[in-house]
Amino acid sequence: MIALSVAAALAVFLLYTSFAGGATPSLKPSQLAGHRGTVSVSGYVLAPVAGDPHSSRGLRFHLRDIDGKHMDVRVPVVFHGSEPDLFRAGRHVYVVGKYNGSSVTATSITTKCPSKYSPAKS
Amino acid sequence: MQDLGRAALVLAFGLALYSVGGGSLGAYTRRRRLVASARNALYAAFGASAVAAIVLLNAFRTRDFSFAYVAEHSSKELPFPYVYTAFWGGQAGSLLLWLLVLTGLASAAVAFNRRLTTEVLPWTVPVLGAVASFFALLLVFVVSPFATQVAPADGAGLNPSLQNPYMMIHPPLLYLGYVGLTIPFAFAAGALLSGRFDERWIVATRRWTILAWTALGIGILLGAKWAYEEVGWGGYYAWDPVENAALMPWLAATAFLHSVMVQEKKNMLRVWNATLVAGAFCLSIFGTFLTRSGLINSIHSFAQSPIGAWFLGFIALAATFSTALILWRLPLLRARTRLESLASREAAFLYNNLLLVAFTLTVLWGVAFPLLSEAVRGEAVTVGPPYYNFFLKVFGLPLLLLMGIGPLVAWRRTSLRALGETVLWPAVAALAVGAILIALGAGSSTPGLLAYTFSAFALAAIVLEFARGTRARKALGAPSWWSAFSGLVARNRRRYGGYVVHAAVVLLAIGVAGSSAYGATKIQRFRPGDTMKIRGYTLTYLNSVERHAANHDELRARVAVTENGKPLGTLMAGKNAYFAEDQTSNEVAIKHDWLRAQDLFVIGDEFKFRKKAVSAVYLKVLVKPLVNLIWLAGFVFLLGSVITLWPDAREQRRLAARTEPGPVVVTP
Repeated sequence: MIALSVAAALAVFLLYTSFAGGATPSLKPSQLAGHRGTVSVSGYVLAPVAGDPHSSRGLRFHLRDIDGKHMDVRVPVVFHGSEPDLFRAGRHVYVVGKYNGSSVTATSITTKCPSKYSPAKS
Repeated sequence: MQDLGRAALVLAFGLALYSVGGGSLGAYTRRRRLVASARNALYAAFGASAVAAIVLLNAFRTRDFSFAYVAEHSSKELPFPYVYTAFWGGQAGSLLLWLLVLTGLASAAVAFNRRLTTEVLPWTVPVLGAVASFFALLLVFVVSPFATQVAPADGAGLNPSLQNPYMMIHPPLLYLGYVGLTIPFAFAAGALLSGRFDERWIVATRRWTILAWTALGIGILLGAKWAYEEVGWGGYYAWDPVENAALMPWLAATAFLHSVMVQEKKNMLRVWNATLVAGAFCLSIFGTFLTRSGLINSIHSFAQSPIGAWFLGFIALAATFSTALILWRLPLLRARTRLESLASREAAFLYNNLLLVAFTLTVLWGVAFPLLSEAVRGEAVTVGPPYYNFFLKVFGLPLLLLMGIGPLVAWRRTSLRALGETVLWPAVAALAVGAILIALGAGSSTPGLLAYTFSAFALAAIVLEFARGTRARKALGAPSWWSAFSGLVARNRRRYGGYVVHAAVVLLAIGVAGSSAYGATKIQRFRPGDTMKIRGYTLTYLNSVERHAANHDELRARVAVTENGKPLGTLMAGKNAYFAEDQTSNEVAIKHDWLRAQDLFVIGDEFKFRKKAVSAVYLKVLVKPLVNLIWLAGFVFLLGSVITLWPDAREQRRLAARTEPGPVVVTP
């Protein structure tokens, strides 16, 4: 009975995450090609960071892959809202938003905690 | 000094290895002296770990930047308490703290149970030693806190967000919780290896399990409080993988703490309990693997770390070992009694366990989903808060209801009529609360209304249990109502301490429902004199002020607050700019309303400058109804745990009688 119940619960998770969970592709900037709609993108914030997150044009910056590969791929990001702590050029961020084929309109930006768990040295 | 630290770690590693090898051989051949020497090796490993920790602490105290780890996580200007808490500000220090707590707890658990479990203990020591060996190995060969360098003029400092009082206690409590779950796992493994899987190992480790579970629970709550006050986005839990990493073993341990009662009372769920305790242990390691490996995007981890693969290997080993052990001892684990009725206390425990385990698996699934989807589809797919919030309602609301029903149901069987009579008053109380809330406008959120109503049901059931017990003791001759009440709790601390913990969970549920379903948020640009109205509050921006501190500059917006015309004072929300760390941090301002458990939460979102002076400021303002019940729940939770953990001479005598050495059921 226990095994059956757990199996049933697992099946619900599978169905939910497959069909109704609103799962979001988690991508690097270099993997965005071919995608549309809601995505989450992890990237390295390139200088310059321009604009104002509270203005109509928003905060504007570019992301590239964190691992340093595909240095030529830069995706523009526009963000309206509250700029997170520690956000600036050179930081690793995690952006969620809509990708229209050329730029990401971000609804949230999470700046990574840089020292809690030591990152690998570059 | 680095050499002394390294030598201490190598010694700890060697001693832990000896406790595995010598302990296993001693247990297998039943050579008492070998068993005793393995036990002593475990104690000595704790001593060696303590020496390594003292060396590192001293390096932080003296700002010895020739220790690369000290230079990476502190600076000359780092204030007093944080220069010590920087100890666990990075990976190597965290692992050293882990080893220290593990060997310390293991030594204490072994020492306290030396006479209680004479057959199980010889097999427990090697298991504890194996876990300690893994952490010592990482510290010796993979990430040493004693790496040396030419001392720079100053250190890099500590992440400003970690320079917070909650961060002084949150990580050690989490480690105590994670590591503490090794104790019941090791005793369960020892019981299986020795062939004595009766309830003795549960009795021997009950307090250790509750201690670990309490530490993990309080650690999670303190982390939430830290996020609420320090991270400054207005929330307290974001379903981040690192947060979930602590939640999963806590949920599994919660299920375990309930199901062991069924084993103790009815000798049932033995396979389930063995699986749960192994699961809770593996989940604590799995969480560490996820956060340290950098494979999952989290606010806490990002870059690839070399220890991820080590953790993966260790989880695989622990899971294989546990599964093989349980399968090997399956004949011994078969229940000797069966569930007599689906309407019984044991059935209620079972339902509770299914919901808790299902929710644990949901969280695990959500955390691991990016890895699995990448492996299967070649593309990492994440699930966000909507996924977790959905399942929190699906499993959490029935759990709240069960928390009220479970204690009212009799063991073995209850008729539906008796059950109806038992739950009548809590149900009436819940319906009354629901009706009043609808009249007050709380019907805007169905999950919130259900959470309140079910909470009222559970709380009424708890009050009813206390009232019935107190009345019975008064009828039996207690001199006063107070002595009847205190005697009731003192004579059955585990049961009534458990009810207090249930009350804490109810408070938590009300706080979460209130703050998430009925809150309000506004963002506005302010110039001096501008005002904002939100939920009866009026905020007026006065001006901005700057202050210079030892290791940072402060910028604050001064905001006058009134509520329905009554002045509430001035709030100061803004940012700190840290010099050595070259980082800024949000410093939120919170006005607590203790009577309504509500917060007015102000974030100095952005400051606009003109000619080096602040010309305008964007303030984000949140009203968080009932949020303070979440923190109150922490105190009540702790109180319940302390009642449960408090030594009870009568229980000790009962335990001593139950744990007298008896015949060995199966020998290896």
